[in-house]
Amino acid sequence: MKKSRSLILLLSIVVVLSLVLSACGSTSKTSSQTDTKNTDSTKTSSGKPQDGGDLIVGSIGSPTTFNPYYSTDIPSGDIEGFIFNGLTTVDKNLKPVGDLAKSWDVSSDGLTYTFHLKSGVKWQDGKPFTADDVVFSYNIPRSKDYTGARGSDFEQIKDIKALDSSTVQITLKEPYAPFLTTTCSYGILPKHILGDVPIKEMDKADFNTKDPIGTGPYKFVEWKDGQYVKVEKNPDYFDGPAHINTITYKIVPDANALLTQFQAGDIDYMDLQSTDLATGQNLVQQGKAKIQTTLALDYTFIGYNEQNPLFKDPKVRQALTYALDRNKIIKSVLNGDGKIANTPGSPLEKWAYNPDVPSFDYNPAKAKKLLAEAGWKPGPDGILEKDGKKFSFTIKTNQGNTAREQIAQVAQQMWKQIGVEATPKIEEWSAFIQEVTTKPWKFDACILGWSLSVDPDPTAIFASSQAENGLNFVHYSDPAMDKLMAENTSITDQTKRGEVIKQIQAGIAQDQPYSFLYYPNAHIMYNPKLQNVQQLSAADYYHIKDWWIKQN
Amino acid sequence: MASYIIRRILVAIPLLLGISIISFAIIHLAPGDPTSLLMDPHIKPSDRVAFIHAYGLDQPVYIQYFKWLWQMLQGNFGDSLIHQGVTVSSLILSRLPNTLLLMVVSALLAFIISIPFGILSATRPYTITDYTVTTVSFLGIATPNFWIGLVLLMFFAVQHPIFPAGGVQTLNAPFSIWDRIHHLILPAFVLATADMAGLTRYSRSSMIEVLRQDYIRTARAKGFRGSRVVYKHGLRNSLMPVITIIGLIIPSFIGGAVVVESIFNWPGIGLLFLDAAFQRDYPVIMALTMISATLVVIGNLIADILYAIVDPRIEY
Repeated sequence: MKKSRSLILLLSIVVVLSLVLSACGSTSKTSSQTDTKNTDSTKTSSGKPQDGGDLIVGSIGSPTTFNPYYSTDIPSGDIEGFIFNGLTTVDKNLKPVGDLAKSWDVSSDGLTYTFHLKSGVKWQDGKPFTADDVVFSYNIPRSKDYTGARGSDFEQIKDIKALDSSTVQITLKEPYAPFLTTTCSYGILPKHILGDVPIKEMDKADFNTKDPIGTGPYKFVEWKDGQYVKVEKNPDYFDGPAHINTITYKIVPDANALLTQFQAGDIDYMDLQSTDLATGQNLVQQGKAKIQTTLALDYTFIGYNEQNPLFKDPKVRQALTYALDRNKIIKSVLNGDGKIANTPGSPLEKWAYNPDVPSFDYNPAKAKKLLAEAGWKPGPDGILEKDGKKFSFTIKTNQGNTAREQIAQVAQQMWKQIGVEATPKIEEWSAFIQEVTTKPWKFDACILGWSLSVDPDPTAIFASSQAENGLNFVHYSDPAMDKLMAENTSITDQTKRGEVIKQIQAGIAQDQPYSFLYYPNAHIMYNPKLQNVQQLSAADYYHIKDWWIKQN
Repeated sequence: MASYIIRRILVAIPLLLGISIISFAIIHLAPGDPTSLLMDPHIKPSDRVAFIHAYGLDQPVYIQYFKWLWQMLQGNFGDSLIHQGVTVSSLILSRLPNTLLLMVVSALLAFIISIPFGILSATRPYTITDYTVTTVSFLGIATPNFWIGLVLLMFFAVQHPIFPAGGVQTLNAPFSIWDRIHHLILPAFVLATADMAGLTRYSRSSMIEVLRQDYIRTARAKGFRGSRVVYKHGLRNSLMPVITIIGLIIPSFIGGAVVVESIFNWPGIGLLFLDAAFQRDYPVIMALTMISATLVVIGNLIADILYAIVDPRIEY
């Protein structure tokens, strides 16, 4: 009896520990990076908008806070989008347009912006919105006591002041082109509520989670942790009240559950993954769903760690890209649901996209030739060798992303054709990210995706200054490119800046720090009763105010 | 008895301490950290470093451990690293009722369904009934929980929408008990299946064991009818070992909850555990690990106390 008890106790401990371990090792969370759905808009509408109805949207992942100066995740950003307005927002061509600002003037040196605010805008508690609110909000991330992660977007501000109750003047340290689309898109917070909270403690303010108040089309109602966030329409919204009464942002554990719940009618709107497209199209045929598709503002790539001597020579990296049949990858891995990428820019950002960069289309013969030029010769087992070292490396990617896992295998086979040996290694997301992006960069090659922002500045990813502590974890470095990147943000004329960015794209494409693979498509799937849904690359729930639900 | 319980509790202390050291080490030595989601070109890497520093994650693991232990001894599980401005205790408390409800209902379901079947098959050994029950319960043991969950979900929620596909209540509808029960049935049943098969086998063999005893034979010889013997004399004695399983089932429910809660979108601590593990929310992981370890210890203690209650012959 005694023996069996201790055995049971031992077993129980094993159960507990294995619980921890299995929880650590499980699959099916996808990265936040490429899950942002950024797409161009398509309008679908039939008949006259009707008011009323409740919308349930599904999301993988929980929000963390509803304060735009502290949140870093997509769900929080989605809900902040319902509740708050920025000074500016973007139109369908990703150009800045006024949101709380009616208009703005820029001084000729590009340093001083004067914003004229819309009149008659009220906070959701009835108090009037004024210029002081803008000054207050932008000063949060500029404060020494600020503890959030959003400071870098506000670093360029030298001075900000309210000229009168409806005019704000912001002076920059130096011309900063992304200012209007990036910095000015942050939600404005009410000074009359948060003004007394010390900035040191603002990350923990009740306002952020229990009682956020904004100027937006929807008012916060309730957040049930792990279940949903609910908002209701703001009848006094300055741009006219929304059509849909309430939006419930339902939190669902994973993509499979999301799809199941959509099929069961528990969710009206969701992002549809490429891998589920067939199921989605089936539902469309049954009249149970509508799908909208456009190019995502993302790209997927294979990055090469240039600290590894294997990848130092640009010829080698070009050869690796030549050896990849990207058309075949898109066909076999994505079911054709994407478009070949040759640059780090997106075709959606038309004014800054260079379609004529050097491209390395599938050509294994050329790949072999380039590798031979770089001194690599086939060894006895067919694998290339140089100075007694084999061309052999591991290619890492994160678990749970089927497309990336398959790319790793396909790339392995394609590279084998040219005598390069790659071993796929699949790791859990958090572990993978730490190994790849932080010192000492424990990877040879990795498959990842970037979700691009509205502004096409490539500095954070490719500048050599960002190698040690930044996101340039492949350690790409080119002085000429560094110079152009430093220049790009200081040119306020969009056409001129576009030219510089196009040059950068061409240069980076030539150097191939990444094998740029493809731009995936983004899909949204929704209940056919939902009308006027607008899909936009840069913003989820674009113009949510104008969406409406067909009653019966 | 009292001294036995005190002794057991005293033994539990070093045990829990050991579990906490091992878990803490495993969790912190696993690669990755809570900033793995801060991969945004608009977030400066220095902010990531500042975050790690602010939460003391750059200190040696043993110092972090002692800080955590000291905090925990004062009854403070700390703050979540992911849910901003929320304490771990309030996070767990907000999820606990859902998990408790699921656990209690599925435990009841497991007992209510499996014990009668076990007895049924014990009283008719080597008949078709027995073989059917045995086959079904072996299938139950062999089938993974998540698979049963997915099949039931596909069948009863998507193809024949009798039950909801997940969640604890219908959104945008007024509260009703029936609605809650409606949402509870599938996940509770799936969670119960994990233990149902074993319980059936257990109560069957226990009953067969008892029915072979001399006193049953004596009772039968004295002319008591079959069913009376079984239920009056046999049941009580055969249930004894079965009841003690209650204590041992509790921890297995928490393990099962991680799977079932994520399939059925049931916002309990299992789902919290899963999210915390992915996001490396260390304080939450540690708190939940310690809670389940404590439950295991308590579960065992309850099992032993129940032994004493159902069988007065046991002395401590």
